Amino acid sequence: MTDPAARPPEDPQFDRRMLELLVCPVTRAPLSYDPRTRELISTAAHLAYPIRGGIPVMLAAEAREIA
Amino acid sequence: MATDEGETTHFGFRTVGADQKAGLVQGVFSRVASKYDVMNDLMSAGVHRLWKDAMMDWLAPRPGQRLIDVAGGTGDIAFRFLARAPGASAVVVDLTEPMLAEGRARAEATAMGGALDWVVGDAMALPFADASFDVYTISFGIRNVTRIEAALAEAHRVLRPGGRLMVLEFSRMVSPALQWAYDRYSFNVIPVMGQIVAGDRESYQYLVESIRRFPEQEAFAAMIREAGFGQVRYRNLSMGIAALHSGWKI
Repeated sequence: MTDPAARPPEDPQFDRRMLELLVCPVTRAPLSYDPRTRELISTAAHLAYPIRGGIPVMLAAEAREIA
Repeated sequence: MATDEGETTHFGFRTVGADQKAGLVQGVFSRVASKYDVMNDLMSAGVHRLWKDAMMDWLAPRPGQRLIDVAGGTGDIAFRFLARAPGASAVVVDLTEPMLAEGRARAEATAMGGALDWVVGDAMALPFADASFDVYTISFGIRNVTRIEAALAEAHRVLRPGGRLMVLEFSRMVSPALQWAYDRYSFNVIPVMGQIVAGDRESYQYLVESIRRFPEQEAFAAMIREAGFGQVRYRNLSMGIAALHSGWKI
């Protein structure tokens, strides 16, 4: 858990429009954005895709496994 | 990214495990990212710019179209597309983060603003829904994909009906004598240039080997038809050093 006060500022370069465009490359299901971890969540695949420097990294190999 | 055990593919002239290739290709492009545009200019004596313009001429971008440019690295194709088509939008997808970061840092990227998005993704498993785009381009990228058939199938999937595929890739020269001369040049000169300009001989050795391995014009056209595209045509550039392949999702 990260202290909310210590969070980096919202990445201005990640455009929320991208959410409508992107799907999980494994399941092809829509994603949701977790503003706390700043990851794109694929519930069905149990994967969280990172956004680095405003660029979503949509590779299963780079994603974090989630419950 | 798991593949059957024992399955192999080509990495230049080396045979490697199919599950290793993506990592090796990522390594090459991570290393060459900052020098990639300079090296392209040197390797082709600036001609790659004319080839990319020829691609745009044939593609004839129209206002409002949505482009996906795969292996689009530093944004060369997307910038050209958007410059010709007001109100169009483009997504640049690349396996290699440093290449995208390089592209996004370019002045053109800032000028295009909201019309341009950057995504790290795999050509064989695109993170987009079916029928999302009007145009799919891949320029000097498809020969680096582990399974070309899988990339073409994904291209077909993400294109809407009536959408268009266009591939720019090194090919085979129409004259065997010229091909012989070109091979001498590419195998002897390009890796040395890579050493001098980018301090990386091995990555450029891979590039020339991968160029030589890629299927010639007719064989590649057949693969595009096999993936379900119609009206498949190609045009040679610089006497076949490179070729443009076009197909339509009908």
